[in-house]
Amino acid sequence: MLSRVGERIYWMARYLERVEDIARLINVHTVLLMDLPEQDEINWFTLIKIFNNEAAYLEQFEHVDEKNIMSFLVADLTNPSSLINVLSQARENARTSLDVLPEEAWEQINELSLMVKASLSAIGNRRRRQNMLLKIMERCQCISGIIDNHMSRNFAYDFTQIGKHIERADMTSRILEMTSLLASDTRGEQVRLHEGILWANLLKALSAQQMYLYEKRTSVSADKALDFLITDRSFPRSLCFSLAIISNYFNYLPDPSEPIALQEQILKNLSAYNPSIIPAADAHIFMDAFQVRLAELHQIVSDKWFHPDFATI
Amino acid sequence: MREVWNEYTPGEFYDELMSTQQQPHLFSFKLVEHLQSMKKKTFARRVRESEIEMRERGITFTVYSDAGNIDRAWPFDIIPRVIPKSEWDSIEMGLKQRNIALNKFIQDIYNDGQIIKDGIIPEEVVMQSKGYRTACKGITPAHGVWANICGSDLVRDDNGVMYVLEDNLRVPSGVAYMLENRKTTKRVLPEIFALHNVRPVSDYPAHLERMLASLRPDLDNPTIVLLTPGVYNSAYYEHAFLAQQAGFVLLEGQDLVVGKDDFVYMKTIHGLERVDVIYRRIDDDFIDPEVFREDSTLGVPGIMRAWKAGKVAIANAPGCGVADDKVIYAYVPEMIRYYLNEEPILPNVPTRLCRNKNELEYVLEHLAELVVKPANESGGYGMLVGPHASTEQLEAFRNVLLANPTNYIAQPTLKLSVTPTNCDQDGIAARHVDLRPFILSGSKTYVTPGGLTRVALVKGSLVVNSSQGGGSKDTWIVDDVTGNEGDA
Repeated sequence: MLSRVGERIYWMARYLERVEDIARLINVHTVLLMDLPEQDEINWFTLIKIFNNEAAYLEQFEHVDEKNIMSFLVADLTNPSSLINVLSQARENARTSLDVLPEEAWEQINELSLMVKASLSAIGNRRRRQNMLLKIMERCQCISGIIDNHMSRNFAYDFTQIGKHIERADMTSRILEMTSLLASDTRGEQVRLHEGILWANLLKALSAQQMYLYEKRTSVSADKALDFLITDRSFPRSLCFSLAIISNYFNYLPDPSEPIALQEQILKNLSAYNPSIIPAADAHIFMDAFQVRLAELHQIVSDKWFHPDFATI
Repeated sequence: MREVWNEYTPGEFYDELMSTQQQPHLFSFKLVEHLQSMKKKTFARRVRESEIEMRERGITFTVYSDAGNIDRAWPFDIIPRVIPKSEWDSIEMGLKQRNIALNKFIQDIYNDGQIIKDGIIPEEVVMQSKGYRTACKGITPAHGVWANICGSDLVRDDNGVMYVLEDNLRVPSGVAYMLENRKTTKRVLPEIFALHNVRPVSDYPAHLERMLASLRPDLDNPTIVLLTPGVYNSAYYEHAFLAQQAGFVLLEGQDLVVGKDDFVYMKTIHGLERVDVIYRRIDDDFIDPEVFREDSTLGVPGIMRAWKAGKVAIANAPGCGVADDKVIYAYVPEMIRYYLNEEPILPNVPTRLCRNKNELEYVLEHLAELVVKPANESGGYGMLVGPHASTEQLEAFRNVLLANPTNYIAQPTLKLSVTPTNCDQDGIAARHVDLRPFILSGSKTYVTPGGLTRVALVKGSLVVNSSQGGGSKDTWIVDDVTGNEGDA
């Protein structure tokens, strides 16, 4: 497989996962704030913080409010990490990988992009926005299903899975970071009273609540939720699950020793996470560090398979 | 929607579906009957479905404009154009004959130049062709074939005769749209395929693959790649589509490198891998910065070296564009007689060469009636359509012609045939069409049954190019129907 095509398909999968996760993130945040006693506008700003986008946002908007933040996160063409821009990146990468991608996958990505463009006007209205986000998540699941059921287990597939899981781990860790930040807010005496709701909503957003209850057989607490989403090896949205499964796909690729070494290190570090040592309110620091390691893993993948030194013959 | 069709009139033109104003041809009778019997609402819904289908499948072409490049949905008209098999058989033979002669011509002029020595075509005519490449002298590609993929444009005059308007030999496009049009018709008008026996087109990618593989008779299973200029090319959708459908590796110049051993390699996650056949969709000018345009970033340095050494096959062969020239076009009937000792089955449009003094005089005198074309432009650019031009335009063109007569040819303004077309405001109305069949030549020659019908959607317009307001239609080759069967 061409290195360039490998890179495009990897990014296509990352961007698709990111689209779904941005939708999840906004969706959970909205639901969460409805449950909190004080609907402080400042809480919306957490969404900007976890993408490290504070400066870009303030350059464009004077006020921090739900409406502005939503247009920045979803519809803003000048914000490279807005949902609409991420989606068009996914589409562009798919469009340039049509020879390795199932036809139906391309059609679905194209349809998703038409649908989002047509419903951008909905983002100002909370109810319509939530509906739109749910539809986006559904479509992303559908695309993922097509890739799983129509694509041979070849290198192109391996790169879609590596991309998907690196992105998923990154985004899940940002969602955890956001929740941790909300919980650690110094004005959050009230928030802490509602901690159970906060973490239950988080599990719900990651479609993890049922599996959590099945696994832990106990009501939701911050420590247990964090433990589940970080270290559980059987739930496909936990950080350890993503990190562990990536090595399967690395192993199919030529000469994977370096990426695997780093992947093992990161996994070891994650598995060692202990909520009794790192309290939920400090988890965001752990997540920050994890995101840095993930970026290193991406760099190694890129250097190894996408941009190696081609010795000329 | 009979009442809509009742207003239909082909005017003074030959009509592809109707034999008189209201009476369909025998071979299109059932189709027209069916369309007429549809409810207006049903028909409108099918039209809408076809538009959604094209948009959702992402079938687009790129329009370049000052405001940036726009991806437009492919314009498609759901009423098929129909050609009876008996007529098509002779068109197909004519296309094969023409293609064989053109390839013999290209082989000849890069080698012995016999046709020049025998005085059939003047040397300076060959040399003025922008597609002539000195670098190709002395080469013989596999099977002696240079133009492996050819898209000829056919037009029909009011006398019903089908003419060859031009031979597109460089990097002809449109075949993906031919396939997508058929797919869409099957989806939105599935019932009409029960009415006629329509020859299938969907095996084109397989024919293309076999033809390209035949360019390396020395290899069992050659690696075939499709070289695209990239996503900003107006035909990128087609490049990706063909790669996907035929199983080629879709790649760009940056993915290829030529080794010191003169083999061409692609950059893969396993390192460098050899490439055996390149289906290139890049013009000669850009293919190798070492030989042609130095500033090209789309091509592959050294690829001409690899081709000349026989280490890689390139389709179409570099230099084959020499025969894709409107002055050389005028000589094609002579070529057929010269190389094949046969009479041309498909006629050329009568063409006057402005390089001949007496013909130039005629052209200048009759400028307002003629179509004048430059030798080396495509897409309908740089030409004069006399009957549609203003006095100022005619005057300006006269000066252009006098300054550089050898670069121009002139043809009568054809009364291009029309066919019923769905037009928003005008209901079902007559619109002018042409036809682009595709001819594949390797160890064997194959012609697509039908091709891409392009239609000028603007009333009275003769311009069918999609970049200038043209649309397209599914094209059917159907079994002939005798009078008796038609009544049954």
